[in-house]
Amino acid sequence: MNDKSTWEFGTRQVVYGAIGAALYGVFSWATNIFPLPAAGNVTFRPAVAVLIFFGAAYGPWVGLLAGFIGNTLGDMLTGWGFYWNWSLGNGLMGMVPGLVVGALNDFKARPTIMKAVGWGTLGIAVGMLFASLTEMFVGGIDLNTALVGYFTPAFIGNFVVTAILLPILMIAFAGVAARRGR
Amino acid sequence: MLVTWKYRPRNTFIQRLDPRTRFIFMACIIFALTIPEIWDYRIILPLFLVSLTLYLMARIEWKDVRRAWIYIFILVFFIVGLNGMLSGRGGPSSVVDLASPVVFEVPFMVPGTDWGWMVPVTVSKLWFALNQITRMICMAILAIPIPYTMDPNIYGTAFKRMGASDNVSFTMDLAFRFLPTFARDLTITIDAQRARGYEMEKLKGGLIAKIRRLAPLIIPVTMQSTVTGEEVIDAMDLRAFGTAPRTWLKDLKYAPRDYFMIGLGVALFVTCCVLKWGFGIGGFFVPEFFTNFIMG
Repeated sequence: MNDKSTWEFGTRQVVYGAIGAALYGVFSWATNIFPLPAAGNVTFRPAVAVLIFFGAAYGPWVGLLAGFIGNTLGDMLTGWGFYWNWSLGNGLMGMVPGLVVGALNDFKARPTIMKAVGWGTLGIAVGMLFASLTEMFVGGIDLNTALVGYFTPAFIGNFVVTAILLPILMIAFAGVAARRGR
Repeated sequence: MLVTWKYRPRNTFIQRLDPRTRFIFMACIIFALTIPEIWDYRIILPLFLVSLTLYLMARIEWKDVRRAWIYIFILVFFIVGLNGMLSGRGGPSSVVDLASPVVFEVPFMVPGTDWGWMVPVTVSKLWFALNQITRMICMAILAIPIPYTMDPNIYGTAFKRMGASDNVSFTMDLAFRFLPTFARDLTITIDAQRARGYEMEKLKGGLIAKIRRLAPLIIPVTMQSTVTGEEVIDAMDLRAFGTAPRTWLKDLKYAPRDYFMIGLGVALFVTCCVLKWGFGIGGFFVPEFFTNFIMG
């Protein structure tokens, strides 16, 4: 579907990293304006599915940059400031599914979709765990608060949107890529 | 729906600082509090006052930051403050180890039974919660003004001058330029879907159905952006992007005020380290005036 050299960092990665970041920022901001009804303190950020998709489709560098810059953009647009550990956590969330970019070929095939969702889930776990645990040093919270107050709601919310929206994005992308021929 | 940056030129001392200076200063304050693990109010309070002064010098209107502050207050007071007050965890072990008078007890009972336990809130835990809240706000008030006072066009250059590669810096620069385009695409898509009967404000059904129904908005914009990406890649390849180091249109130069602020940040960081590791000052303790105040 694309150049599958996992760690290549050329023009393609620069452009799709920027596009992924801008989309992640816009969608995060838009869902802040039109919040999705949710329970308790579990928040749903549909943009996460787009971030995981960019990682899975274009590789780890694109996922890392889209997550880091996109989260920074989203926070800036809503005026929340710059929190490096959450931006880096979002970057890791996009990077992990990018590690299997070489193994994701047919985006319409069920096994490929399952693999992308599985690695996306791992990415969510790694990214949100990193952000939550670094809050222990940055914010001085304890492990329980980091895991129960931060990690669990973030993981659940992100996992739900990824499991639902990522397959739709992948199938749509397979059609677009087939028409484009590259 | 219009994407508007929070940034506005204000001709303040903060805005005249080099963006690198502001990132470095913020890092110094965060490291000063976290690396030597400072929990002493005699150090936290002066650092908080320095941060607050810089925040006030940014001259940001309250109506602009009200939403951000509400979010931060909820997070800090309810999640962090309440947890610190009840558990005393998250900081030095001396918070719960200290023999401290109990102010009141909070019952945690299983509903419908008399089974449960009483959580004592001590003077030590109360003081710790106050310290923790001040510590977190001290760091947050340095981060909040950034979107309001830093020109979005300067981020790419700032990261490049801080040692990031051309590719990373250009990704950041390009992302800022793409943002209004994709926001416009999203607006057009929303309008088009509404014209077809899509009711954005009435997302009916269960949670899964609600998320699925966002697909008609997210998919078209994302797919269109991948097509746009190929055109941009072609244009950049034709201009030989990545074959040689890039030059940047905007240049950043440190002024004497930048050296002063970086020097101040480094001095604060070094002072905190020396006080903690050299003199043993900076650990957690409950001042007598607070115990007297609480216990009468």
